[in-house]
Amino acid sequence: MVHVEIKAEELFAIGPLIVTNSMVGVLLASAVLLLAAWWFTRRSGVVPSRGQSLIELPIEFLAGVVRGTGGKRWRQFAPFVFAIFLYVLTANWLSLLPGVGTIGVMHGEGEHEILVPFVRAGAADLNFTLGLALISFVAFIAFGLRANGLRGYLKELLIAEPAYMTPLLTPIHLISELSRVISLSMRLFGNVFAGEVLLATMLALTTATIFILPLAFVVPGIFLGLELLFGLVQALVFALLSMTYITLAIAEHRQHGSDDHSGEAPEHGTAAANVSA
Amino acid sequence: MDLTTLAAGLAMGLGGIGPGIGLGIGFSKAMEAIGRNPEASGTIFVPYILGLALTEAIGIYALVVSLIILFAS
Repeated sequence: MVHVEIKAEELFAIGPLIVTNSMVGVLLASAVLLLAAWWFTRRSGVVPSRGQSLIELPIEFLAGVVRGTGGKRWRQFAPFVFAIFLYVLTANWLSLLPGVGTIGVMHGEGEHEILVPFVRAGAADLNFTLGLALISFVAFIAFGLRANGLRGYLKELLIAEPAYMTPLLTPIHLISELSRVISLSMRLFGNVFAGEVLLATMLALTTATIFILPLAFVVPGIFLGLELLFGLVQALVFALLSMTYITLAIAEHRQHGSDDHSGEAPEHGTAAANVSA
Repeated sequence: MDLTTLAAGLAMGLGGIGPGIGLGIGFSKAMEAIGRNPEASGTIFVPYILGLALTEAIGIYALVVSLIILFAS
């Protein structure tokens, strides 16, 4: 049975701050992103160089999606969505590099010797995903407050669409908004942690089936590719869900009059808006 | 009889039924929509991925509960 830990293992402590290996993974992702940002904007121009146009490809795709679903004021929250996407993507893909999760120190003695890796997948720690989900939560509340004002926001939050249904619908609405934090964090954590457990189990196959060499090396390779895809999809989903929540929060509502469509999401975007819980 | 292992197995097993059915239905509807109107595949893609992730999240909650039962109690 492969040994897995839900809690990230501690490496060392700087004063009162305990540094875990997931923290190292997250900081590594931040460092890679900052370095890439500096490198690719060193000599940026209106006519892009090759590296710049390579980076602009996913950004343009994401910008197209945000513009399609976001409505008129999409430029206000587009950088936030890009940042979340790039951060989660870098954290997820860095966890697939060789050495992450495998190079470490042995702790414990005798029977209970376990390997404590130096670097662990960033999103495999609930602290990271919960922190990002809280940032998303505060962001969509802040965007809603800024777009509709305090009174408008509270009115939209607390008074249901037909006013007589308020006692029934408002608690449901409130709880579903609060549960967005849990769902965002759990989704990312569950996917990445389960992927880690899956990869560890598949890599353990190499010792069990060493006599069938291709099986021992091909099967983990397949699952590594699967993790690559899932890391990308989960990053995309986190960013798109944050964008959907912000769009819902800043959308103008029908009772404000049909002549003011400044913040309203366009029609084909409401399919995505209706899908979210 | 170890009830912990049984609980973990049941949590994931039963928790995988709903998302499995839901994902299948969602994907089939998306394929239908693309089949009717192949040019709309770009428009369908983003809400489909969103719906996919939301449905799959329920299965992930079941997985997290199962893992917690196995490894943290």
